[in-house]
Amino acid sequence: MSTDELPQKSAPSAPFAWDLVSVALILGAALGLWEIVVRARGIPVYLLPAPSLVMTTLAARAGDYGHAALVTFAQAMGGLIAGLAAGILIAVLITYWKRVERGVLALAILVKATPMVAIAPLLTIWFGFGALPKVILTALITFFPVLINVHTGLLAADEAILALLHSLNASRWEVFRYARWPSAWPFLFAALKVVAPLSLVGAVVAEWAGASAGLGRMMWLAYSNLNMPALFAAIFCLALMGVGLYGVVMVAEKRTLFWRQLHERKEGGS
Amino acid sequence: MRVVLRNLSKTFNERRSALEALAPISLDIAPGEFVAFVGPSGCGKSTLLRLIADQLVPSTGEIWLDSQSPTVQRAHKAIGWMAQNPALLPWATVLDNVRLPLHVNRQHNRAAPTPEALLALTGLTEFATTYPGTLSGGMQQRVALARTLATGARLWLMDEPFAALDELTREALTDEVLRLWQEVGATVLWVTHNITEAIRLANRLVVMSSRPGEIRAVFPVPLPYARDATSPEVIALVRDVRKALAA
Repeated sequence: MSTDELPQKSAPSAPFAWDLVSVALILGAALGLWEIVVRARGIPVYLLPAPSLVMTTLAARAGDYGHAALVTFAQAMGGLIAGLAAGILIAVLITYWKRVERGVLALAILVKATPMVAIAPLLTIWFGFGALPKVILTALITFFPVLINVHTGLLAADEAILALLHSLNASRWEVFRYARWPSAWPFLFAALKVVAPLSLVGAVVAEWAGASAGLGRMMWLAYSNLNMPALFAAIFCLALMGVGLYGVVMVAEKRTLFWRQLHERKEGGS
Repeated sequence: MRVVLRNLSKTFNERRSALEALAPISLDIAPGEFVAFVGPSGCGKSTLLRLIADQLVPSTGEIWLDSQSPTVQRAHKAIGWMAQNPALLPWATVLDNVRLPLHVNRQHNRAAPTPEALLALTGLTEFATTYPGTLSGGMQQRVALARTLATGARLWLMDEPFAALDELTREALTDEVLRLWQEVGATVLWVTHNITEAIRLANRLVVMSSRPGEIRAVFPVPLPYARDATSPEVIALVRDVRKALAA
């Protein structure tokens, strides 16, 4: 066995702590600048509240914001899961049933091209002020990127692996299990990075059209009363949840697709 | 496995023109024989192998594998296939990759060494739990070789499996294949454009001409194993094969 046949040692992982520090520094600097500008120029609070005021507003009604955030988060997750399930199922369907592929994709593009802001009030009229219209709207927003990405991933299965499975006379199900489905995973995660934060937008937009609870409702109330600190506090909660969701997807991707990093390291190292 | 080819040909029908990849050829290969096909690129040797592997449908002629059609033998997982691309599942460990043939088309599993034994046989035991992405090209082909053996197939179709490897690794691996072939007693059809490699390996050498591919000459290789690539007999044979290729 020659030396080049030995497996290569893995490179040290990026210093995670330093990433956090740099993010905190940049964010802190931006907030600091914001605070200074607002105070120095004497910008009125109904135009742009200082971050310190937003934080005190948030702290004063932490329970209310926490509850609203939870409601919105639950609705977003419900819609995201429904959108994921629908996107994946339809992607599998059109991959194996070519006859309906064009028709289904045309319909999906039609849904995608329809402005969701216009649909939101309709859904409220049809389904009321509860969670259902929010879940539906979020699902409608999230399902399209999932459908397109997973469909592409299922078709991108490695030709050499497909030939190998053919030589073993693998069944359709076995080809799906060992070649197509794993090949769709990286594409699924690419879609998730987009649609996980997007699901929050979906839930909030649906809440604007009429809701009995949630961050969208709080934003709408604050906006009606020109209560900018309350509006910004709600935005802050949304941003925090969006970043958190993105982080969860990133960690899940790293754990699930660890084998891709093995390839990248090797290519980078040789 | 006995391989019988009768007037086998393949023409690819493109939209406007037809490309005759393989002119009608006939050949008998005895069970346990190691036959190498050599020829320039585009001489139809890969096409020939893919026809036998049931990946392509012949335009004319017949293929008999132990008196059965390739489709039947493939359905019974009786054909081992190996190509330049090791086609490993990157998300599965080395051991799970070697196990793959046992998980697929299960009703046709046959007696074969266990995946663990195959790892030992190919010198991969210590890499059982590693992932293909960390292995070199040579090691990956070793895994592919172990996986081919895991089917227990008595016919190995090998389409330039080591063409992408450096010369030293290639020699080490071809020696490995020879050893395993002698142990298992399979029939091997080996496609290569490397004449020396073909002579080191095969009982019989089939020289093919290009476009349309046809058999130009057949050389028996009566030399004992292990064959030294620098011995006068091998060098003389290389010269003859080259002459046949150039003719």
